[in-house]
Amino acid sequence: MNAIETSHLGRDFGRGRSRVTVVDDLNLVVPAGIVFGYLGPNGAGKTTTIRLLSGVLTPTRGTGRVAGFDLRQADAVKARIGYANQSASVYRDLTVSENLRFKASLFLAPGLVQAAVERTIVALNLGAVRKVLAGELSGGWRQRLSIGTAVVQGPSIAFLDEPTAGLDPLARRALWDVIYELCAAGTTIFVTTHYMDEAERCHELAMIANGRILAQGTPAALKKGLPGAYYELEPGDLAAAMREARKAPGVTDAWINGSRLRIAAAHPLPADALGRLPALAQPVAPTLEDVFVALSGLEKEARA
Amino acid sequence: MTGVTIAGPGFGGRVLAIARKEFLHVSRDRVLSRLIVLMPVVLLVLFGYALNSTVKSIPLATVDGSNDRVSAAIEKAFSGNERFAIQFKPSLAAANEAVRSGSARGVLVIPSGAQAALRSGKAVPFSILVDGSDPTVSSQVRAGAAAAIQDFSKQVLAGRALAGNGFSAPTSVTMTTLYNPDNRTAVYMVPGLIGLILTFITILLTSIAIVREREIGTMEALIATPVRPIEVIIGKILPYMGFGILDAAIVLVVGVFVFAVPVVGNLWLLAGGIALFVLGSLGIGIVISTVAASQIQAMFGTIAYLLPSIFLSGMLFPLEGMTPFFRVVSTIIPLRYFLHVSRGVMLRGAGVADLSVDLIALTIFAAFMLLLASLRFRKTL
Repeated sequence: MNAIETSHLGRDFGRGRSRVTVVDDLNLVVPAGIVFGYLGPNGAGKTTTIRLLSGVLTPTRGTGRVAGFDLRQADAVKARIGYANQSASVYRDLTVSENLRFKASLFLAPGLVQAAVERTIVALNLGAVRKVLAGELSGGWRQRLSIGTAVVQGPSIAFLDEPTAGLDPLARRALWDVIYELCAAGTTIFVTTHYMDEAERCHELAMIANGRILAQGTPAALKKGLPGAYYELEPGDLAAAMREARKAPGVTDAWINGSRLRIAAAHPLPADALGRLPALAQPVAPTLEDVFVALSGLEKEARA
Repeated sequence: MTGVTIAGPGFGGRVLAIARKEFLHVSRDRVLSRLIVLMPVVLLVLFGYALNSTVKSIPLATVDGSNDRVSAAIEKAFSGNERFAIQFKPSLAAANEAVRSGSARGVLVIPSGAQAALRSGKAVPFSILVDGSDPTVSSQVRAGAAAAIQDFSKQVLAGRALAGNGFSAPTSVTMTTLYNPDNRTAVYMVPGLIGLILTFITILLTSIAIVREREIGTMEALIATPVRPIEVIIGKILPYMGFGILDAAIVLVVGVFVFAVPVVGNLWLLAGGIALFVLGSLGIGIVISTVAASQIQAMFGTIAYLLPSIFLSGMLFPLEGMTPFFRVVSTIIPLRYFLHVSRGVMLRGAGVADLSVDLIALTIFAAFMLLLASLRFRKTL
């Protein structure tokens, strides 16, 4: 059973000559019960995709099924999903439990609200701050509350739009613990991010740029499927070595990564080409970032 | 959980959830909650006490060239009934200077020989100069002077009649002021203030409440729930309707008990007028919120609606004084009809039949605005 399936889903904004396609030809399959990552740079169409899938926006083209219902039955879809939008939009002048109670009472019969609030407070470990105004919470805790308001009614799918944006590494890790626990409890999680390390944490992910999906699969499969070869070397003068490497035969790109120089090549480099590089080059496994850069380069060529 | 039918809260449950949350917002906002309670009181005090358009003891620079019993009688007539405060000046130049500097609002000049003129049966010549820079004051100077002259003339005629060589005055007028006989500003302002405060509170609070949700992004989260636009509208306007009616009650109670404003007519009729007017104003608040992108814009939108309402409704300036063009414009100002109802019911005891046109206009206003609001609000969702 798939939580989300879309077919040629698209959305344009504006009219006439100022018409812009923000999401185009989206064919997405998200199996139920996993953490699904939606990876792309700012402006790639991530938020618009979430708005389409959560029934906030109506699609211009295409169809989709979310939580077992056609997107055209927006109310049926909305009743079964939770949505935490960007910027942790909670009511800052309401307490943690008041925020949860309000959201729960829009979905649940009055008799079920209290139990749902308590369950969410336990699940997200919000007990210590339940009476604190949301505006007085730190960024990480406010995000946690925002996720809480998205799942308090017990949705089958939770859409989380950049839940870790602007958080420090510890808060990010704590939030991912929450995401895994929700997933283990049976909720499908659809999470957007532009952090590559977070993409690695997802069970499956889709990469998107300019409103189009570049690739979809498990992180391992995506890296394995990437053609070409990658090398790293530690030259003395990084900047000079980078200029030199970019001119070397067979090399498609070279960039500085900390104290190392990373080189991408369309094919494994022969021994003589490797020897002409400014320092000893070690073959390395591609990262998700390599996958993303390579795929968006291909997409740009295809568009040009 | 897919496919499981969840027992929902229903229409009333969702409306109540939103109304309850909206009430919490206001109760958490110290400035707003105080504003709601204090604004009507402050406005009442301002309009009731400070902005009193009946001017008393207007300073009058007086040049008395006679200094006899007749000129003293003239001066007494002018200072009678707290009409004028006489300031004696040695010369016309000094008196004019007093008006120019603003310490006097008019000049009374009595030339020499007043008593002699009266004894020989001639008219007593004296002149009055009026500072016209403030039309309200100048019209009151004219009215006060006319009344003083009438008093003086009566006195002279009575004296002549006693002396046997008099004649009776050609007219004898008895003027009675119906409703608000003391001409107190508060009596006139309180019914108007109810309208002004209702307009301000309901439009500003609803428009800001909706724009704020859009600004902080919670509106998007609301749209992603099964809540329907009409439920959001009703849930949001319920508390603000309550606050508006609370304010109307405050103005009414303070007006009646502090300013002794009479309520001659039927209170239920007044309540009906208030309800219609509040509903329409809430609709305007929602329409403004669908246009405004920020809370500041919503505030300016409210003011842009409020100012013509104040000036063209007859709240401060009588409709009869407007040019024909603006009198036509004023027919689309809802506050105008509400003022007819509130002043009519409170001050003159007008009934449904007397106010039928105004009540119909308010009903059309409420129905049209709520319809427009729900259509516009749907589009922004």
